Amino acid sequence: MSTPTEADTDRTTVGALLTNLSLSPRHYVALLVVLGLASAPLWLGTLTLLQMMSAFYFIMFVISWDFVSGYTDQVSFGHTFFFAIGGYTSVILNLELGLPPLVGIVVAIVLTSIAGVLYAIPALRIGGHYLALFTLMPPLILGQLFIMFSDIFGGTRGLPTPDPLLQVGDFATTALANYFLALGILLLIFAISFVITRSDTGKIFKAIREDKYVVSASGLNPAKFKIFAMVVSAALAGFAGAMFAHSPVGSATPGQLLELTIIIDILLASILGGVGTIVGPAVGGFIFWWARQLSDNIEWIVPGLDVPFTRINLIVFYVLTLLIMLFIPRGIFPVLLDFGRSIWARITGESSDSSLDG
Amino acid sequence: MSFIETTIVIALLISALYALLSVGFTMIFGVGGVLNVAHAAFLTLGAYLMLYGIQLFGLGPWTATLFSLALVGLFSVLVYAGPVKLIEDDPIIVVIVTLLIFLIVEEFIFVIEGTSPKSLPVLVAGRVTISSTTIQSNQVFMFFLSWLTIIALLVFVNRTTLGKAIQAVSMTKRGATLVGINQFRISTTTWLIAGVLAGLGGIFLGTFQTAVYNMGLGPLIIAFSVVILGGLGSIKGSIIAAHIIGFLETLTTSLVSPRLTGLAPLLLLVIVLVVKPNGLFGREELE
Repeated sequence: MSTPTEADTDRTTVGALLTNLSLSPRHYVALLVVLGLASAPLWLGTLTLLQMMSAFYFIMFVISWDFVSGYTDQVSFGHTFFFAIGGYTSVILNLELGLPPLVGIVVAIVLTSIAGVLYAIPALRIGGHYLALFTLMPPLILGQLFIMFSDIFGGTRGLPTPDPLLQVGDFATTALANYFLALGILLLIFAISFVITRSDTGKIFKAIREDKYVVSASGLNPAKFKIFAMVVSAALAGFAGAMFAHSPVGSATPGQLLELTIIIDILLASILGGVGTIVGPAVGGFIFWWARQLSDNIEWIVPGLDVPFTRINLIVFYVLTLLIMLFIPRGIFPVLLDFGRSIWARITGESSDSSLDG
Repeated sequence: MSFIETTIVIALLISALYALLSVGFTMIFGVGGVLNVAHAAFLTLGAYLMLYGIQLFGLGPWTATLFSLALVGLFSVLVYAGPVKLIEDDPIIVVIVTLLIFLIVEEFIFVIEGTSPKSLPVLVAGRVTISSTTIQSNQVFMFFLSWLTIIALLVFVNRTTLGKAIQAVSMTKRGATLVGINQFRISTTTWLIAGVLAGLGGIFLGTFQTAVYNMGLGPLIIAFSVVILGGLGSIKGSIIAAHIIGFLETLTTSLVSPRLTGLAPLLLLVIVLVVKPNGLFGREELE
């Protein structure tokens, strides 16, 4: 960092990032994926489109989680807290006060950002196991509150369906419009997370994870960056949660926004995809969501037990992920990425670069 | 006057159960630095294995209890020696892996039993009256057995060589290894004790209320609260914290509103984490 030239190559400004985009094969892959998703309505039926939307919202949840948990040293087991605050705020405002969903969503983002501050400040004081326990608590408390005041929050069954955010013509057209809306928000959330984590700020996040004392020693306040990371993550989570609750595939119910299984799915998807890369968890989220969805449709009677596979698919699923966690802790995506890089290096004759910043 | 007595009697009963539910969780954390979310699975298994002992093998309530405790203890040891042993150095992965084990067990019982609650037979029938409060004899028995178990545990940990070795490992792993303590053996013993205690807690919970496939989550939250309030790894702290939470919960339920049951300990917990993160009797967590 001593000479200006070194500093220039070391820093990744947004502009440099954009010029870099045309350099590597992985960026062409990314472009192809976006084009593929945008043209998906041409070759997918309405029902599959709706499923794709659910997958998109799940990926947004995963990205918002990875933004703080994969980068700073604060692994959050309680991100469902933000999804639920986002979704419930906007739906309650719509149902009780008749506010349009758009207003509700803006209020939801503001409220989740405040919740992010309230969550981040106590979390600064604690670390390790205490932090893990602390982050587990807010969703549990919120769940208790929902049950206690079930006249407002609908208890375990959740809230009734609010006004849709986007409704055009018949069912199929509405689904199509909502598909593009979901894709657009996904790309927006992805872009925000990607740009911030690849900027200097992202480097500081990672440095905090490695050694926060070194960050302090270089004159930067880790607390400030940790709160910033948590608040941005919370706002993204609340935004996704509120949009999801108004979409045709989502609703403000504990089962869709708050339960323990949701955070488990997010953790698993991120870990399978490679934590702390944004791209990895996004891909992991997509594969994970579809794997789960498809396993629900397997019409196969397990021999010996005489039960349909769909009854035990969750157990099989958890056991499989348990095995992957135990034996491929790095995640599938990073392993595949390294494999792909080594093949690419062999083809082009260059040395492979094993940085995960993809 | 009778209101105060009733509250005290109920609070003491609940606190003893909470202590029993949390002590194993504390010990596993103290010895291995492992946050064992699968603790909730041990509780659930304890209750259901007792039920199966009676239904499938025709055992009496007492033998079924012993049968269940033996199996839960074995299961706990297997959870440690299998998956947890592989990843015990990474606290985050440990939470996820034990959470997965909890969910697998819960889902397994859900597939077999569905959502309908099952009632467990009581170990001691009848009712007794303690200063104008009538309660089931089984609850009184539960109270005494919980205390007996906890006292036996304290004596074991403080007086026997193996117990002192457990304490040594929870104080410093390196030091314990230097004086020739076999850590695997100590950890296995701890998981065995924790499993048996959790199983017993599950059986009591099942006779107190009912056994349902998702009965583990509530007590797990109680165990979190107790352990954080008492300090992670401190057995004495857990017993005291169990009483603070038990009394707090009984008081909010009877004085404020029954709707608030379960909320008071959670709020207390957040306050403790913010104000005194190491709990009342906890040590600073060492890197």
